[in-house]
Amino acid sequence: MLVTTNALTKRYGSSMALEACSLHVSQGEIFGLLGHNGAGKTTLLRLLLGYITPSSGMACVDGINCATQSLAVRSRTAYLPGEARLFRRMKGHAVLDFFSGLRKECCRLRAKQIADRLELDCNRQVARMSTGMRQKLALAIVLSTDAPLVILDEPTANLDPTARSEVLKMVMESRALGRTVIFSSHVLSEVESTCDRVVILRSGNVVHEQSIESMKRSHLITARLTGSMGKVPPHLEKSVSICSANAVDDTSRVTIESSGSLKEMLGWLAELPLEEIHIEPVGLSSVYDQYT
Amino acid sequence: MWNYAVWKKTWGDQRVLVLSFAALWSVFPWIYIWLSAQIPMPAFHDVLLRAIPEDWQKLSGVPFSEVATHAGRVALAFVDPVVVLAATVWGITRGSDAVSGQIEKGTMEMLLAQPVSRRAVFMTQAFATVIGAALLSAVLLISVCTAVSYGPWAGKVEPLRFIPAALNVFGLMVCMSGITACISAADSYRWRTIGILCGFYVFSILTKLVGRMSGTFSWLSYVSVLNAYEPQRLVSGSPEAWQTLLLYDGVLIGVGICGFIAGTLIFSRRDLPAPL
Repeated sequence: MLVTTNALTKRYGSSMALEACSLHVSQGEIFGLLGHNGAGKTTLLRLLLGYITPSSGMACVDGINCATQSLAVRSRTAYLPGEARLFRRMKGHAVLDFFSGLRKECCRLRAKQIADRLELDCNRQVARMSTGMRQKLALAIVLSTDAPLVILDEPTANLDPTARSEVLKMVMESRALGRTVIFSSHVLSEVESTCDRVVILRSGNVVHEQSIESMKRSHLITARLTGSMGKVPPHLEKSVSICSANAVDDTSRVTIESSGSLKEMLGWLAELPLEEIHIEPVGLSSVYDQYT
Repeated sequence: MWNYAVWKKTWGDQRVLVLSFAALWSVFPWIYIWLSAQIPMPAFHDVLLRAIPEDWQKLSGVPFSEVATHAGRVALAFVDPVVVLAATVWGITRGSDAVSGQIEKGTMEMLLAQPVSRRAVFMTQAFATVIGAALLSAVLLISVCTAVSYGPWAGKVEPLRFIPAALNVFGLMVCMSGITACISAADSYRWRTIGILCGFYVFSILTKLVGRMSGTFSWLSYVSVLNAYEPQRLVSGSPEAWQTLLLYDGVLIGVGICGFIAGTLIFSRRDLPAPL
């Protein structure tokens, strides 16, 4: 595991920003962090970077304690904050020069290539850049390093659709190079298309962990029930769950979730007294709605 | 620990302030001495020793008889607001930018995401501030010496006797920088850091004045760091001036260094708030 947290907690007075968060991120995976505003996502990331000290618990990156050896952790991590503020009086290329001078493994040429790929004019002063341009500049800084762990907090915020697409491609390229990416975003479609695994936080707690691959195999079936459901066949018991069976306006509606093969499911569904059957793949938004 | 990129940027940040103050302090001693020379010495002597109440000598720090000399009048340039305020502004401006300024701007987040220690960031700022103060003090000294050597009072005053006074200015700058940097290390808003230090400065002036004028509250003088800033006492050219400088700058620079050390420890351990 590249990143491990064990009962990581951060308290601000009586307010619990993060509570007993235990998770792990495997090397080479793209790991998504989801949750409402104030769920604790940024708190978790800032604990990993050593910006804040935990009230209790522990976090490690590559076996290094994040609270006591923050410098060593940061030498292995490239971090894009949710609010990336840069030096306003400097021009874009001067900012790239500065940040590439802070890391031995940072390549100035690669930073320039990423900036060009994102169509960023580096001759402009940061103060005269739009919010999206500053975000692109920050991305060029972060993605130009060789750090094994990349943490991106809302990387596509304020970006135009073309730039968003390029950033997501770069995230996938990072994984192809063997790097690990932690990706925090409110844009569920991006998380779903990019991540291998996601964790959902709510009020400082980890409430659900979801593999994207297994989620894509899952389906949600809703239908109008015209008779008795009967029992689920034994061979489908492990992969099928009947989520709800409601009576609405003298009709019953049923919702069935399937995590197994749809082909076997279809045979069983055909025998049931169902009408108006609607089948859809389980999307991240329905998982997110379920747990937040 | 040291990083050239951080060092270069820190120097770049203070470049305009250094050049501005250097320009100011290059010109000011010439103007000051020229203006002082417009008042003939006998007239100045009369005003000082006869017109002003003797009790007010306590405010001066040196007897009026010493002030009413060419060296004494030049020494008053070191306590002129142009010098004292500029020295204080230097300390407060640079010290407040060390941590709270960067946190308020939000740039500390990206900076500390890099593999650079908090100690390196803080100490680089501290060293750059102190070196800048040394450069400015040198500019002031050179300007005073050349104004004294080639100005209206050429030949009347030995220029090198103002070295201790210039070093006292340096001590004041280090003191204010260190105290400000310490407050900045604990704070998250530059405006609040500056406000606290302005309040501290006014408090220091008031305690110094009250301590000077009041017999009952004379102990207040020891509360004020500005009690160690008395450049007009250091221009006699005697060995005692250097001994007094050692004491004064020992206090000022000592307080400044303690401020920087305390600031380093505070900044290394504190939680950083997220940018607003």
